[in-house]
Amino acid sequence: MLRQPLTRAIALSSPSRVAPLGARRYADAVPAQPEKVEVFIDDKPVYVPPGTTVLQAAAQVGVEIPRFCYHERLAVAGNCRMCLVEVEKSPKPVAACAMPVMKGMRVKTDSDLTKKAREGVMEFLLVNHPLDCPICDQGGECDLQDQSMAFGSDKSRFTDIHFSGKRAVEDKDVGPLIKTIMTRCIHCTRCIRFASEVAGVDDFGTTGRGSDMQVGTYVEKMFLSELSGNIIDLCPVGALTSKPYSFAARPWETRRIDSVDVLDPLGSNIVVTTRTNEVLRILPRTNEEINEEWLSDKSRFACDGLKRQRLVTPMLADSRGNLTPVEWEDAIVAAARAIQDCPPDKLLAVAGDLADAESLVALKDLVNRLGSENVYTERDFPLEGSGTDLRSSYLLNTKIANVEDADFVLLIGTNVRFEAPLLNARIRKAFIHKETDVAVIGPKIDLTYDYLHVGDSASVVKDLATGSSSHEVLKRLDAAKRPIVILGADQLKTQEGSALLAYTQELALRLQDKLQDKNWKVLNVLQRSAGAVAALDLGYRPGVATALAAQPRVVFLLGADGGVVTREQLPKDAFVIYQGHHGDVGASIADVVFAGAAYTEKRATYVNAEGRAQQTLPAVSPPGRARDDWKIIRALSEVVGERLPYNNLDEVRDRLGQISPALVSYGEVQDNNYFAQARALSKSLQKPVSGTLDVQLKQLEDFFMTDPISRASPTMAKCVQAVIKQKSSVY
Amino acid sequence: MTTRQAIQVGTKTVKPLLSLNSVEARKRVLNLYKAWYRQVPHIVKDYDIPKSEEQCREKLKELFLKNKDVTDIRVVDMLVIKGQMELKETVKLWKQKGHIMSYFKPTEEPKPKDFLSKFFSGNE
Amino acid sequence: MAGALARVIQGTKSHLGLVGPLVNISNVPVRCQQTQAPPTKSQYGPLADSDRIFTNLYGRHDWRLKGALSRGDWYLTKDILLKGTDWIVNELKTSGLRGRGGAGFPTGMKWSFMNKPSDGRPKYLVVNADEGEPGTCKDREIMRHDPHKLVEGCLIAGRAMGACAAYIYIRGEFYNEASNLQVAIAEAYQAGLIGKNACGSGYDFDVFVHRGAGAYICGEETALIESIEGKQGKPRLKPPFPADVGLFGCPTTVNNVETIAVAPTICRRGGKWFASFGRPRNSGTKLFNISGHVNTPCTVEEEMSIPLKELIERHAGGVTGGWDNLLAIIPGGSSTPLIPKDVCTTAIMDFDGLVAAQTSLGTAAIIVMDKSTDIVKAIARLIMFYKHESCGQCTPCREGVSWMNKIIYRFVEGNASPKEIDMLWEISKQIEGHTICALGDGAAWPVQGLIRHFRPELERRMQEYAAANGPSKAERLY
Repeated sequence: MLRQPLTRAIALSSPSRVAPLGARRYADAVPAQPEKVEVFIDDKPVYVPPGTTVLQAAAQVGVEIPRFCYHERLAVAGNCRMCLVEVEKSPKPVAACAMPVMKGMRVKTDSDLTKKAREGVMEFLLVNHPLDCPICDQGGECDLQDQSMAFGSDKSRFTDIHFSGKRAVEDKDVGPLIKTIMTRCIHCTRCIRFASEVAGVDDFGTTGRGSDMQVGTYVEKMFLSELSGNIIDLCPVGALTSKPYSFAARPWETRRIDSVDVLDPLGSNIVVTTRTNEVLRILPRTNEEINEEWLSDKSRFACDGLKRQRLVTPMLADSRGNLTPVEWEDAIVAAARAIQDCPPDKLLAVAGDLADAESLVALKDLVNRLGSENVYTERDFPLEGSGTDLRSSYLLNTKIANVEDADFVLLIGTNVRFEAPLLNARIRKAFIHKETDVAVIGPKIDLTYDYLHVGDSASVVKDLATGSSSHEVLKRLDAAKRPIVILGADQLKTQEGSALLAYTQELALRLQDKLQDKNWKVLNVLQRSAGAVAALDLGYRPGVATALAAQPRVVFLLGADGGVVTREQLPKDAFVIYQGHHGDVGASIADVVFAGAAYTEKRATYVNAEGRAQQTLPAVSPPGRARDDWKIIRALSEVVGERLPYNNLDEVRDRLGQISPALVSYGEVQDNNYFAQARALSKSLQKPVSGTLDVQLKQLEDFFMTDPISRASPTMAKCVQAVIKQKSSVY
Repeated sequence: MTTRQAIQVGTKTVKPLLSLNSVEARKRVLNLYKAWYRQVPHIVKDYDIPKSEEQCREKLKELFLKNKDVTDIRVVDMLVIKGQMELKETVKLWKQKGHIMSYFKPTEEPKPKDFLSKFFSGNE
Repeated sequence: MAGALARVIQGTKSHLGLVGPLVNISNVPVRCQQTQAPPTKSQYGPLADSDRIFTNLYGRHDWRLKGALSRGDWYLTKDILLKGTDWIVNELKTSGLRGRGGAGFPTGMKWSFMNKPSDGRPKYLVVNADEGEPGTCKDREIMRHDPHKLVEGCLIAGRAMGACAAYIYIRGEFYNEASNLQVAIAEAYQAGLIGKNACGSGYDFDVFVHRGAGAYICGEETALIESIEGKQGKPRLKPPFPADVGLFGCPTTVNNVETIAVAPTICRRGGKWFASFGRPRNSGTKLFNISGHVNTPCTVEEEMSIPLKELIERHAGGVTGGWDNLLAIIPGGSSTPLIPKDVCTTAIMDFDGLVAAQTSLGTAAIIVMDKSTDIVKAIARLIMFYKHESCGQCTPCREGVSWMNKIIYRFVEGNASPKEIDMLWEISKQIEGHTICALGDGAAWPVQGLIRHFRPELERRMQEYAAANGPSKAERLY
């Protein structure tokens, strides 16, 4: 059990190791802050709280101590010995990453002893490191390269290369995402620590002793985790590199564009690396409030789906019903004609998972100007009670970062691990470091940590809400100081959705009212897609079932690839306009196709599950004749004769700001209110419920392909294959 | 900014570029025109352009007259300086045939201005 | 083995954990807690039979409870326990007992670190019986022939530090020893000597035996703790020291078998009695293991500060072929630097005496090598041992020791450049003090001893090799 000893050891040795990243709002406030101690780094005085390591103290005065094994988000290993520094009155150099500061300690980070120690360690590391930098994918972004330049010796004295050579280690096969060249491994154990601490997979470890020590999975096994790609970033050398990106480019050839991920509802911050108008890879970008510095495998590796199955030109169904490429004029005129001929109440617009706020607002404005209110999202959400009028009913009100501070987490009908992997990583972090306990209502799933399974019936929620449950979890919830309840939005599409939401609101607010911390929010609804929150914010109505029943004549699908709208449900002569970037489910039923841009190709606003607006930036230009999505709708509006009053992005965003300032305050998230009102409105909806809660993504193989981009990605397909194959393996 | 400073800035005298008055500026323009005029036969010969001397003189006049409404002495001077640079580049054969021919470039089609035509022309 | 690994920590290991200051060795004024004037002895050894602590070292008597009782073990243990923590710790401080595992840290002081106000966590005593150091064979004699001394010692030490249980981590290869020890523990439990209300003192104390799997590194105290916890035996970072966060995250003291086993006798006969042996700061009796080229290799209990030559000649029948046939001696187990014959003649076998001779007492395992020894090969073999036993956790030890191993095996045949001798010295210095635990130091010191005293021998071999085979490849390349 990782949890117990780690918690204890860390709590006792240095409190700062658990949460090294600055003071956070809900961090347990120590009544009397322990007095800061003064230490001297290269004779510069710095005041730090006791328990800070020398390395952290040095960072505060801007002295960077070289390191390989130390990583601020992982436990301290202290085994690379690169961070050795001289401390006055200590006969031996000490490992800065593990040494807590002591009062009056004088650290010398560039004394002769320190330099000699670093040079020695560097020499030892290179003794068995192959000199294959020219063919190594890490070249140019390799810690070992950089640090041997900075701290290593200028010449080699490794004469034994001519007698016995270097160590060679057999490569491991850990799946289709990570390429291993184990000879390059310097045994920093970052990957092992990440796997066991963050990813919750204990498959990584060391075998053998001394120079025969090897890092790997003990038996040949795939690294079965949705966060596996992060060990590529963590590896300081080229031992773990990205398989899809292997031999693709050097870092100095590429352009890096900061952007935002849209393949899960969290809106992880990413860096899109491009060369010659091609997305080569996606890396995480640090954002403490969302993804820290991790990224889920789908977000990281599905980018090769951006090159396949793309709609590169507008298309129009010909006389035999086959979609054929046409000019933009033809496509737009054809669509405009259909819209003009359609009575407003027979017009239907449906927004899909990946729609950005700009195109959503343009489409809604267009439809409204045509005299219709029929703008819907594919995903369902109960409209009874306060419905989507109050933001608190459909957002993660606690906010992602604050989840770490929760002391009890109740998950209702959601598999957080695959619906929002990094939120799950946060819960796991709290579970491991802060003794947070987790309870689950829903099917039994593997969440990478232990939890209390309360049942899978919706009535359990009712019992908890009404307080009639005799289950232990009710007591735990009542006793918790900072409980959170996370409801999976998927549960809300059933008939009982409204009742379930009402009960969840009731439960959460009953708990919230009792809390001492009045700012703490208990209620959370976890959306499934990146576009959902913006659509609801803009007034899209969730769920198309009723609208489809009204037999629409013209259907505008804005990236609606969820398969909710089918030809069978529509009248024979219905005209379907599809706008999107992939030839997926939606395009296959369309009469006219508008080729849109994917998230790496446009500057667009996405609102994540906690209600935080963020924007993507264009890393590459849209392929072929594909265009920015809002511009297509803007052009269409003019041809239809209801010209939308914006000509550039700023004007669109002004319009967004008119609807909701939250949509354009980028990077910020507002506190939600009106919980009590939502609760009051939902009182009447508390009807008996009997269904069982089920989640869509149960197994790792379900995780990889959930949207048009990942469905088009060969890498994701390989992952699914590999996971299924691994499942049949004896290990 | 205090009021005094503001006044100072507002009433600051403009520094002349070359000419002190319009008469002088006019003289410089005419001198430049003459110099170009005399150079025309050489240009036709040296650059082997498919234009006659007549056509070149016509173009020369057109280009000068394009700025006939410029009255600011400093702008006139600057245009003269640029004209002299052009002339020098031409005389010294630093240019190539294409550069000379670009003086004769037909008028460009105006770029689409409104959203829809920009969209259809692929500029938006 | 324990000691060899813990040895270097001697200077820095404050055992105060996080709050403890970094103690500078040179600044620690006196290691000795003796209050009376130092005895004015000038002759050390031989030890009188009546002063021997381990009276069944050779297994000539019954090792079980009955025999142990007849030798005076478990005599008035209850009274000692009832005298309380402070009395026991004071008695040990008076005795001047220093850790017998090699580091020589004052035991009384070490135990007193455990008596900080409790924070609710249990405390543990861990006994390091992972005796794996080549040349050392003292603990096994105790465990196989006098196990009750150890069990009683556990109880008294446990009482002194308020521990609730003792874990004896015994080397996996010691099958018979573990078996005897287990029998002794069972006997003690049955006789009510340990367990609930041990010896009727009202104090509950358990003793567990944990068998290792044969890794030398598990003799390092934190690696040992990891191993007991069921993890890979890899040393932990210090601080936090085991006295703060040790076994299962609780305060723990790790002691050598011999240290624990002498504690009951010290308590019974008094710290002053124990302190009357040996020079000041090096007091007591000690088990010496004499192996190698001597006529009668043996383990013997002797007074500290006995001259090395006398020790060998009196108890081991002298060096084979006479003292003049001596080449070198490793005086404290394989990880201490060797000393050549001329130094041996005057060396005093105690902590300070051997430090003066640029080596260390270690576990007092004396390995004698006569002139028939291929000294380079002998040291090379030791390095190979350390290379094999390096846990691979930290870089200098993992990469450095295997590199040293490669070089020194070339030195054996002389296929190297004389310049590489300095390089090897530097590499050993790059390992020493740069590692998490002391195994790196233990591996570096034999090489340093070899270079310090046998450099001409190394150079001679290289010349010989060059004469026979032409210059070494290393000569041309370096």
